[in-house]
Amino acid sequence: MTITRRQALAAGIAAGGLAAGIRPGLAQANEIVIAGSIPLTGVFAFAGIGINDGLSDYVKLVNEAGGIAGRKVRYVYEDTAYKVDQSVAVFNKLTGSNAVNFYYSDSTGFAKTINPELNRKGSMIMAGASFATELNDAKAYPNQFIAGPDYSDMISVLLTYIAKTQPGAKIALVNSDTEFGRDPIATTEAMAKKLGLTIAEKIVTPPTSVDVSTEVLKLRRANPDYTIFHGYVLAPLPEFMTQAKQLGLKTKFMGTFWSMDNSLWAKVGEAANGFMGVMPYRYYFDEDAKAPMLAKIRQMRPEYVSTAYMQGFLTAMLFCEAGKRCLDAKQEMTATNLKAALNSIKDFDTGGLIGAPITITGNSIPVGRVYQYDAARKVMVGQGDWINVSKPS
Amino acid sequence: MEFDWLFFFEVTLAGLGSGALLALTALAFVLIYKATKVVNLAIGEMLMVGAYLFFSFAAGFGLPVWLAIPLALIGGGLLGAIVERTIIRPMLGESAISVFMVTIGLGSVLVGLVEIVWGAAPTQLPDFMGTTPLFIGAAYVSRKIAIGFAVASIVIAAFVLAFRFWRGGVALRATATDQGAAYSCGIDVPKVFSAAWIVAGVAAAGAGILVGAVGGISPTMGVFGLSALVVVIVGGLDSIAGALVGGLIVGLVEAWSGTFIGGEYKLLATFGLLLIILMVRPYGLFGTVEIERL
Repeated sequence: MTITRRQALAAGIAAGGLAAGIRPGLAQANEIVIAGSIPLTGVFAFAGIGINDGLSDYVKLVNEAGGIAGRKVRYVYEDTAYKVDQSVAVFNKLTGSNAVNFYYSDSTGFAKTINPELNRKGSMIMAGASFATELNDAKAYPNQFIAGPDYSDMISVLLTYIAKTQPGAKIALVNSDTEFGRDPIATTEAMAKKLGLTIAEKIVTPPTSVDVSTEVLKLRRANPDYTIFHGYVLAPLPEFMTQAKQLGLKTKFMGTFWSMDNSLWAKVGEAANGFMGVMPYRYYFDEDAKAPMLAKIRQMRPEYVSTAYMQGFLTAMLFCEAGKRCLDAKQEMTATNLKAALNSIKDFDTGGLIGAPITITGNSIPVGRVYQYDAARKVMVGQGDWINVSKPS
Repeated sequence: MEFDWLFFFEVTLAGLGSGALLALTALAFVLIYKATKVVNLAIGEMLMVGAYLFFSFAAGFGLPVWLAIPLALIGGGLLGAIVERTIIRPMLGESAISVFMVTIGLGSVLVGLVEIVWGAAPTQLPDFMGTTPLFIGAAYVSRKIAIGFAVASIVIAAFVLAFRFWRGGVALRATATDQGAAYSCGIDVPKVFSAAWIVAGVAAAGAGILVGAVGGISPTMGVFGLSALVVVIVGGLDSIAGALVGGLIVGLVEAWSGTFIGGEYKLLATFGLLLIILMVRPYGLFGTVEIERL
């Protein structure tokens, strides 16, 4: 039989297409894929870079230890510049060319936008940089979870600490006028009432605000015992604190996770002294208790790594733990099975990344600890024990 | 309940202070538009570069503030010169919208460069203004804001005088009024263009240092330039006095609305003001009225 040039070309194309078609299938059998929409540029890049390092490092550790049930873990990612449309495009690209089991999302906006598609696919579970209270709902977001407490839980940790330290204290809330900033306001008011604390002032600042003089004047009149910031990274907190100190206010300033990175406050200097806040993870330098995983991180990275790194690292650890439990039970790695495997995590030791054993019954890990910045030593120092604010089921 | 006049006075002072910072940034917009008819949307990013240059000189190289500030201003001027010669001048003759789009692209490039050179994390400028509080009678004024107000007032007054009495200022006004006529009078129009961009770069760097000293620095601080755009539209795109008056008005509107209605209404009030001005005086309070007949 003679094969014409045209037939040979058609056969070649067919063979190529077949090879391309079966590649994802082969990959799925031999590896576990974590994909990520990572904000390596844009307004959230300071965190995205750390998150990316954390995810990469944990995957490296797992692979060096032989992988998960004999399968290697592969981490693929692309930059999203913290834009929802770009993040959706990255999701489509990465899930279209890889058999993805776990996905890291870069924002609340993306997590909410992609949720129906995630549920439709039913092949992967997702966690990410958002701690939005809305995502902590296993019915509405069955295939997502938060690798820490949600924002309302973070404030609950702070209020629990305040109620214990100074019963009946007066509190001012300062929130940025963003979805991130407004997130826990309603629950904070309810929780404060329950704990016998008074909300003396509520201040909202536009996201573009530079000067906070007028807000400081409001704070001066309210004269609260504690001021809780939420919805900011660094600015305008230092200016708030400096001006309040200038005016002789005795209020103690507190923040939530994204404003708790040690290196940010180290650059602020003396004005940062006494700043407190809630942390879901131990700091890189924290040697209060035995923490073998932190020791490994220090070995891999001799210089300080950010709290965002810890978040990425722990997320990868929980992804891999869910995958391991699913494979150990000889189950197919579907979203339902992976989420069930994740929710089977009970009194789990994170190797010291979190200072208490964790249990994930729903979509979050409602545990945190209050830390306070010591400007003389340039470190955050743990205050009291880890606080669990899980709601009774 | 009795109205707290002291509180109102304090809020008003704070509004005037932050308005002066807006006015200084708006000045950089106006200088470029006045001379070259280019609406430079990258002013916020040029401001950011100035703040980062100061950060490098003061914190990185440990230079004294009296040296770090002029070096950062020179750096801002150089940036203005480079942008004008390499990006804007080749665009001469192109439509205004094309040049406008180029400045948007320039803004993104500057953000990228800052992220590469200085990293993406927000940080603080070294404190060079002191922390002792200022009081006018019993009314508190933030020290940094008071200094910002004083600097902005002096700089803007100097520009108003320069445009009125200095030969270069007169040449710039002539170029702005009619390029052809300016050429025929022996004015070197390209040089005027360069000078406008250089001076605007210096003004933006100065504003960046002041804004950074108050609110910290980050690659996203250029968004402050958008507020200044509102100021120039309110004051008039080609009016230096308009930049000052517009800045103070926007500062006051933001301070009063943020305090007495709520911080979430601050931007609503600002852009509400912008809409009213655009409907009543589309060329701004002090801008040149251009009549176009079809």
